[in-house]
Amino acid sequence: MKSIVAFAFLAVVISAVSSELHCTVKRPNIPNDWIDMVRPCVEEMKKQIQKEINASMKYLAMGAHFSRDTVNRPGFAKYFFEAASEEREHAIKLIKYLLMRGELVSGVSKLIKTSFDALPTTHWNNAVAALEDALKTEAEVTKSIRNVISVCEEPNDNSRFNDYHLSDYLTGEFLEEQYKGQRDIAGKISNSRNLWATMVNLENSCSIKNCCKQCKIKYSRPQFV
Amino acid sequence: MKMNSSTLFVVCLLGIIANVNAKECRATIQDACRPYINKQSNPLLESTCNARYGAIGHLEPDLVKYATSHLVKSFEYLLMSTHFGNYDMNREGFEKLFRGYSDSKWADTIELIKHITKRGGKMNFSPISTSADNYELYEIESLAKALDMEKSSMNDAYLIHERAIRKIDSSHDPEISHYIEEEFVEKEAGTIRELTGYITELSQMLAESEDNGLALHFFDDYLKGL
Repeated sequence: MKSIVAFAFLAVVISAVSSELHCTVKRPNIPNDWIDMVRPCVEEMKKQIQKEINASMKYLAMGAHFSRDTVNRPGFAKYFFEAASEEREHAIKLIKYLLMRGELVSGVSKLIKTSFDALPTTHWNNAVAALEDALKTEAEVTKSIRNVISVCEEPNDNSRFNDYHLSDYLTGEFLEEQYKGQRDIAGKISNSRNLWATMVNLENSCSIKNCCKQCKIKYSRPQFV
Repeated sequence: MKMNSSTLFVVCLLGIIANVNAKECRATIQDACRPYINKQSNPLLESTCNARYGAIGHLEPDLVKYATSHLVKSFEYLLMSTHFGNYDMNREGFEKLFRGYSDSKWADTIELIKHITKRGGKMNFSPISTSADNYELYEIESLAKALDMEKSSMNDAYLIHERAIRKIDSSHDPEISHYIEEEFVEKEAGTIRELTGYITELSQMLAESEDNGLALHFFDDYLKGL
């Protein structure tokens, strides 16, 4: 009798154990000598991720503004929505880089804010004003990337660890795109400004798609503007 | 408080005046084109020369909230994906799955903004406060969280739809109810079923043995190959 009870008890215990899930695995100890990024540099990189997201939000607001029925600049809306997605991609590229270097093993939850303050500007008087704002934003991002590079080359933590690879990556991938992008926006502003007198009227009548064909012709032949 | 209520009164009054003044678009245009009439600075602003009709006025805040919640979820999924991408977790399949969800929520945010403006609405970027959460989750826990997130998103869609089909309180708007059905409800149902399938599968695998390293590895490999 006693043995039957014991057996039943054992059976209950076994079934209880087997219905419970074993959800996690024990993480093996991995040598960490290969992880050589230093704290000040990692912190700057993390801040840069949020900055890229902030720029992305700003362009999202620009896209939303130019999509409005009573603003109606579908071309600019498309341009800014694409710019917003591009900034988000930049943030993801920075994340991927940190992962590649063995970072972001912890503290990921606070990497990007999921609460935001209200955006300071959600209205632009015209497309040129938005482009100028965008150029300013890009210049700030460029400055900020340069700062990340400089911190990562000479971190102030006595390690004197010059992160050659990161500097090269940021210079080659990010600064390259920043400078080209800035030049592109500046060129767009210049075009718009040169044609500004006629642009106001022209642009106003150009929102309808068919009309844009004519506009293009006019843009490419300055003598007719 | 007194100040607030009087401000509210003025705002309401202005709203009523604006509403009374709202002329049909053609009449506005005709007035604007008449040469010797005393013109307002911009007569089009207060007219009906816009893309607003139906119940956009009633549903606009809901749609803005829906777009905002997509934006927040896209960042949440990005963080979940990031966690699985570190060398310690090293779950490429999970990383890919959540990156996909993040991308899709991001694209939907833009689509929702476009649709709000298509209907003459304005996307409002007001402050968003989300309770701080933990996004560093273990495998099956992350799937469970994703399922909760998707169900909550589906619930938001249902609430908008419910308002848009209700005729009594002037929030009836077939265009919006159709849009929600077509673009969100259908896709969401697929995602919810997909996630539930993953959870069923993985929980069966995890119940089978105490040494689940292999199970998790195979499951991750499966997600990676999708």
